[in-house]
Amino acid sequence: MTQPASFDPTTLPVRHALAHEIERGWRRLAEPGTWWTGSQRLAIAAEARNAPFCGLCQRRRAALSPYTVAGEHVSLGILDAPMVEIVHRLVNDAGRLTRTWLQSMQDAGVAEEQYVETIGVIAMITALDTFDLGLGLPQRTLPAPLAGAPNRQRPAGARRDLAWVATVAPEHLSAADPDPYTIHGNKNIHRALSLVPQEVLNFFDLDVELYLKDHEIRDFEHEYRALTHAQIELLAGRVSSLNGCFY
Amino acid sequence: MGAALNGDGAAVGVAHGATLVEYGEAMLRGDARRRAAARLAVYQALGPAALVDAAAIVASFNAVVKLADGSGIPLEDFKEKATQTLRAELGLDGLNQGAGTS
Repeated sequence: MTQPASFDPTTLPVRHALAHEIERGWRRLAEPGTWWTGSQRLAIAAEARNAPFCGLCQRRRAALSPYTVAGEHVSLGILDAPMVEIVHRLVNDAGRLTRTWLQSMQDAGVAEEQYVETIGVIAMITALDTFDLGLGLPQRTLPAPLAGAPNRQRPAGARRDLAWVATVAPEHLSAADPDPYTIHGNKNIHRALSLVPQEVLNFFDLDVELYLKDHEIRDFEHEYRALTHAQIELLAGRVSSLNGCFY
Repeated sequence: MGAALNGDGAAVGVAHGATLVEYGEAMLRGDARRRAAARLAVYQALGPAALVDAAAIVASFNAVVKLADGSGIPLEDFKEKATQTLRAELGLDGLNQGAGTS
């Protein structure tokens, strides 16, 4: 049988659950978050899309240390300078971030909670845009922001005892906090953004449909996707290696 | 693991491993032509549903690294112990430069 020479990406069979979470992910980008408004979240997403074209970031990536290259980022002009630095570093050179750098961002006025939510927004737009790229779909126009104010609820149980940022252990969540652990698990990767628990839910609600649910990852008796476990892990390993992520 | 690190997908005995590794590399490092060729190769070799899965996996792992790198979370003790030999053989520890350092 002759192989097709091309295909229409709009007709690819996206699993219903994945399609649902993708749409929910786009909506969550536009909604008010815990610390940022919908407009601010979308401004972060827009700057994240702009970051790969920044000349300063390109020079820094080529340098042995990004901290030896001075200059100004090429930005969209919406976010202030510390936030532009944060967005560009997370997008272009996250593997060389340091605790000292993070402290300097906080000294420049970015609250720890805002920083954590920013990571969540960048992770979401990265996942959503990469998925479309992977299928050959055009990059989506960012949605319009949804009205509403951030609730600014910091979990009372947050402690800086694991990471550079405060996190909330599962046993320290209160009834008032969104609970991502019961649904998604409580490994360190789930705790990473737990200072803003809704961001953990936002990301992993999508991620379990992109990848696998926690209990599916090591269930080698069943295949949950069109790709086998071995194929999934080979591809995941290669992507992680290219990103310098060995977590 | 070595194949994932050095991109030799054909060496590991995973069906269509080379095609998938090339796909991952093309999505992260390739130009438009290389990406288009890689998508078509996955589509032809594995089918449309597998292409969707491949796009999803690349999306997931391209994003989740931001959580780890941005927050500075450490590797769990049990993972560190379980992978000690593997990490030594592959020289992975030498690549973790950022966490906790200035």
